[in-house]
Amino acid sequence: MLRRIAGSLFWAARYLERAQWRARLVDVNYHLMLEVPPRDAEPWEPLVRITAEQELFATKHSHASEASVIDFFIFDKENPSSIRNCIESVRANLSPLRHLISSELWLAVNRLYLETQGWSAQALAAAGVSAFFADLQRHFYTIAGIIISTMPRDLTYDLIEIGTMLERPDNVSRLLDVKYHYLLPRLEDIGGPADMRQWSAVLRSASAFEAFRKVYGNAIRVNRVVEILVFDPAFPRSTRFCIDRLALALKRISSREEEPASEDPPCGELLAMLHAGSADQTIAEGLHEFLIGVEAGCARLADHVFDRYMSLE
Amino acid sequence: MDAQRAGIAVPGWRAEAAELQPLNEMFDRQGRPRPECARVIAYLLAMESRRLAELGERAHRMFQTMGVTFNVYGDHEGEERIFPFDPIPRIISAPVWAGLEAGLIQRAQALNAFVADIYGAGQIIKDQVIPRDLVIGSPQFRHAAAGIQSPCGVYITVAGIDLVRGADGRFHVLEDNVRTPSGVSYVIENRRIMTRLMPELIRGLRVSSVENYPAFLLASLRELAPRGVADPTVVLLTPGPFNSAFFEHVFLSQQMGIELVEGRDLVCLDHKLFMKTVHGLRRIDVLYRRIDDDFLDPVVFRPDSLLGVAGLTAVLRAGNATLANAIGTGVADDKGVFAYTPAMIRYYLGEEPLLPIVETYLLRDPAVRETVLRDLDRYVVKPTGASGGYGVVIGPSATDQELAQARRRIEAAPAEFIAQPVFPLSVHPTLAGAVASGEAALVARHVDLRPFVLLGEKPRVLAGGLTRVALREGSLIVNSSQGGGSKDTWVLEE
Repeated sequence: MLRRIAGSLFWAARYLERAQWRARLVDVNYHLMLEVPPRDAEPWEPLVRITAEQELFATKHSHASEASVIDFFIFDKENPSSIRNCIESVRANLSPLRHLISSELWLAVNRLYLETQGWSAQALAAAGVSAFFADLQRHFYTIAGIIISTMPRDLTYDLIEIGTMLERPDNVSRLLDVKYHYLLPRLEDIGGPADMRQWSAVLRSASAFEAFRKVYGNAIRVNRVVEILVFDPAFPRSTRFCIDRLALALKRISSREEEPASEDPPCGELLAMLHAGSADQTIAEGLHEFLIGVEAGCARLADHVFDRYMSLE
Repeated sequence: MDAQRAGIAVPGWRAEAAELQPLNEMFDRQGRPRPECARVIAYLLAMESRRLAELGERAHRMFQTMGVTFNVYGDHEGEERIFPFDPIPRIISAPVWAGLEAGLIQRAQALNAFVADIYGAGQIIKDQVIPRDLVIGSPQFRHAAAGIQSPCGVYITVAGIDLVRGADGRFHVLEDNVRTPSGVSYVIENRRIMTRLMPELIRGLRVSSVENYPAFLLASLRELAPRGVADPTVVLLTPGPFNSAFFEHVFLSQQMGIELVEGRDLVCLDHKLFMKTVHGLRRIDVLYRRIDDDFLDPVVFRPDSLLGVAGLTAVLRAGNATLANAIGTGVADDKGVFAYTPAMIRYYLGEEPLLPIVETYLLRDPAVRETVLRDLDRYVVKPTGASGGYGVVIGPSATDQELAQARRRIEAAPAEFIAQPVFPLSVHPTLAGAVASGEAALVARHVDLRPFVLLGEKPRVLAGGLTRVALREGSLIVNSSQGGGSKDTWVLEE
């Protein structure tokens, strides 16, 4: 496989994951606002913080309202990470390599792309926000299902896996970090109803709410949320799960090489942090520092993957 | 050497040609269905008006879902469009096709022999069959091609030869495309659509398959591999996603199961060509390129090109890889050289041309120029250096201002223009009407035909080709970049 194509697969997977993630963030926030009218002045502001886009956002909108955030997250053609642009990037990356992916996958991505062509704030209002997101998520799950059920487990699949598994923990880390350190700054509110609502929104944003309930029941506690989103070996959006899968994919790729790599990919440190760590200990020692460590580890891995398999230099 | 001695055309008073009623390909002059079209016409007439109107819309949706698009140059660079498709098929009977096929092979072989000769011994120039300055002065002549050998003597692997059908029913050659002709992916996709729109009809008529083209192309390309390579690696070189034909590059590479590479994927080392893969460098034997000569190799051609790969020409010269089509083949589809193609066929093959060409007048000849300029509004004027319908002036429909401008340009650089009489392109019933109203009608629109010929160890011809249709009433320009559409072309088997 061409190195350029390897890069395209990797980025297609990342953008797909990113689009789905952003859709879930907006969806959850919207429904949270419906149930409990917020007391905060800017209930939509944290979303822009979670995606670290405050700067770009500020150049376009004076404050974070429902309308401005939805526009920025979903429709904005000038925001490279808007869902519309993410989907366009997925398609643009996959279009030249239709021979590598299943035709079902191409058709599903193209269908989603064609749908985005008709997107507008008016169309969203007409369809209703709930229906819009339900439909969008159905597209994403269809695509994910097609990848799992039609793609041979070869290099193409492994590169998609690597892109997905690098993007996902990045997003979850940011979400945790923002919730833990920036929202609800008053100490006396911790453990209160607003706090609980926010943590349950965090779980829902990571599609972890039901999985959480199965393991821990109804009582939402910070350490348990961190446990399932970071350290859980079985939950498919936990950081540990993603890095485990990533390490396996890298191993499969290197086992196919004629001259196997002289050194192991730099997953060791990250794996050790995630396998040995626990939520209680991490919170005691500083969740923020830990999450920064995870982000740095993911960045090192991304560099490694790029240099070894994608760079044209 | 004057034009008459070379046996090429000079203009006369041919006003009657332009005023002839064009041939309708489905109905004769009395309005009766032509025999080979009878079943299709009966099928269409039996269809409810509403269903007929829906055909076009259904086809459009299918193209969209499949992502079959082309990119448009100009204001909206990189914008994707669907190539308009007309669901009324164009029928070519078996005997007509047999004659065409022989003529196309003859023509492609003569053009190929010309390229081999021009960049080799140059015998045709020495024998004064074609003027030296016309060849060397062609914007498509490439000094760098001199001396590069092809393993089986094939320089033009893929030729797209544009044919138009005259009032007499004969197909004439309008122009040749022997650089990087495009359009074949639409032939195959059009057929896929038609097998869904009218399956019963296609089955009943025994329509020749077009599915085999990618296999034909791959076989031809493999035959070009440098000697001694048992299992050659063939790749397709594209300029990238912003090229108007990018969809076709993706399509063909996918259908042939070969890599689609860009210049940045390639590297030349030690006079060999490689691509950069995830698991290291991999040798390439045959490069099917879909980029122009000028961008192939910054060492030899445009130094600012990022689309090609430095050192490619040296690799080819060393015989370590083959390029298809070869460098400099454009000299054979130069619109001025075109006038000499019948002479070429006689010269190289010792045969009479099976396909006539549309008469072509070289405006570099002062006498010819004078005659043409006197009645400029009776001619089609084309710049020799352009393709895709750009810069063409159609006399009878041009404004006075356009004619005056054309005249100035011709007088400033006469060698850069040719003129042709206005050719009465045949017309074909084409669907017009709106889905909303449920009203559909068949209207006559001008069509041409671009068949594809492949040269390898043996010639191979795709049955039929791309029928392009000028969707605007009265328009003679069928190019996709100029508002044309396409039809599926059905060659009927005996």
